Amino acid sequence: MNDKTFFTFVSPSVIIMVLLMVIPLITAIVLGFNFVTYSNLEEPQFVGLSNYIDMLTDPGFWSSFSFTFIYIVTVVPCSLLLGFGIAMLLDQVRVFRGFFIATALIPHIITPVVGALMYRTMFDRSGLYWYLLRAVFDYDFVMTTTSVRFLIITQGIWQVTPFAMITLFAGLQTLPKQLMEAATVDGATAVQKLWHIILPHLKSLFLFITLMGIMDAYRVLDQVLVMTKQNPLFNADTLMYYNYRVATMFGRLGKANAMSILTVLGIFVVLIPFLRVTYKQQMESR
Amino acid sequence: MEKVKNPIGRALIFLALVLLVVYSIMPFAWSLITSLKYPVEANNPTPKLWGFKANLDNYADLWLYMKGSEFVPYAIGILVIMVAIVAFAILSTKFEWMSKPKTNMIAVAGLLLVFLLLPKFASMSKFYGYFINSVIVTVGTLVISISIGCVGGYALARYNKIWGVIILIAALGFRALPRMAFVLPYYYIGQFTHLYDTRILLIITMVAINQPFTIWMLRSFFMDIPKEIEEAAMIDGAGRLESFFKVIIPIAWPGIITTSLFTLLLAYNEFLMPKILTQTNWTLPVAIASYTSGEDAAYRAIAAAASVSITIPIIIVIIFFQKYLVKGLAFGAVKG
Repeated sequence: MNDKTFFTFVSPSVIIMVLLMVIPLITAIVLGFNFVTYSNLEEPQFVGLSNYIDMLTDPGFWSSFSFTFIYIVTVVPCSLLLGFGIAMLLDQVRVFRGFFIATALIPHIITPVVGALMYRTMFDRSGLYWYLLRAVFDYDFVMTTTSVRFLIITQGIWQVTPFAMITLFAGLQTLPKQLMEAATVDGATAVQKLWHIILPHLKSLFLFITLMGIMDAYRVLDQVLVMTKQNPLFNADTLMYYNYRVATMFGRLGKANAMSILTVLGIFVVLIPFLRVTYKQQMESR
Repeated sequence: MEKVKNPIGRALIFLALVLLVVYSIMPFAWSLITSLKYPVEANNPTPKLWGFKANLDNYADLWLYMKGSEFVPYAIGILVIMVAIVAFAILSTKFEWMSKPKTNMIAVAGLLLVFLLLPKFASMSKFYGYFINSVIVTVGTLVISISIGCVGGYALARYNKIWGVIILIAALGFRALPRMAFVLPYYYIGQFTHLYDTRILLIITMVAINQPFTIWMLRSFFMDIPKEIEEAAMIDGAGRLESFFKVIIPIAWPGIITTSLFTLLLAYNEFLMPKILTQTNWTLPVAIASYTSGEDAAYRAIAAAASVSITIPIIIVIIFFQKYLVKGLAFGAVKG
């Protein structure tokens, strides 16, 4: 394909991405240096770096930062392990496999707001889990700053695990058969096979799921809004939700844009290595 | 991996998988049960799984601007439509003409027309308006996103100079960035162009947000199609564009369906963008979020009805397109 056809063909996509992604990013950078609220949208006031200073000295920002960190380091490994376990189990069965996969997919592709609401309803007063906890363990589940965080994290695991499961299950289908048979002939135990054949085979997938998981967990917002009932007293803000609150509840658009830029810089820690790996792959395979 | 042969082991595996199913669908099943209860029952401190008086009043309150008893004809109508959809899907495997894209598109268009005309015949509630908004935004995003994504993805699959890689990497980078960084500027731009609170703004911004994902996925599907196929067509005198539409698109159809499904889900499930970019023209996720704040117990049953209503289209998608969904989700696994 020559250059001219290529650029004609990709131009709609590229134009829309430049117009609606590059320009907004520049706007966000510019607005980050200005004092903007809903009442002075038309004439922003240039204030230099003060939005950034404001943000970095804001305890709400740091508490949301730490909760996002906790969320990532719990949800990503848990969903990976659970997903791997379920994928191994699914690999064992033939009957009803499609049914198991279809139902397991529901938490992942359901609307996040709705999934979170349904999940929370289970723990609300007169919800099923609430009742079971009370009846079996005599534990009265009430929303507190700790239990809301617990809910957000377990709901996150509930929602993300199917993705790891499906990806790893697909990976298990491509296991080299001869290698496994040779290992059986040589008398390798199940643990040895797992450690020496299956895990190395799935290594790149684990990396892929981890990176995607970190990037998705980093921008979790909808679920937090539902779980905390939009009540800031629960003190369970994630970075994105705090950013959202700064923009909508506090009305500080300039400060919110400054925070967006900070979070964009934050994701670069994961994104740059990911992009480098992909770049190398693409350059080799073209 | 070879199978476990021990019968006790196999029973345990099945038990674990059944528990997984329960764990996965329990919240949905519970909402479904709650949605059939009267508010008093829904707030009963000893919740019942059965033995309550089931009724559809919550759905009537949610969807119609009238009392529950008048709901019956509409409930029957909805059931008829759902049965028709299922029958269509089952029959389409038997008769070839029914599984053709053209027939399916006509069926979808017919269904959309029914949705749009329904308020003319019945007084529907606000929630129905949000549903219509969701449908319009989703379909609009889907159509625009896939048509420009196909052309772009195809070009990226067939071009091997450095520019292609740069565009792909930039797109991947944009995809990973948090939505907030785009949405607040969209709000700002929307205020100045007077597009704020319109469906058009929602559609074009969602197309932009989904474009990186769309072109990556479509590109990988087009790369699986051998070059020789369209080269043969071009030797026969067809132009690049003609061979693309006449030869490549029909072969790539499964890949296009897969990508369409994910675009559809992304647009239908999106919460943040409609929340920030609309004031009255809500979509369904924004509408249901309004039931989530506060402690008002009267909301519980109707919120459950809303949750179930929003989830039903997704369940239909899972039932009909499970194969494509799994293929799309696992596409990272196959491509590395």
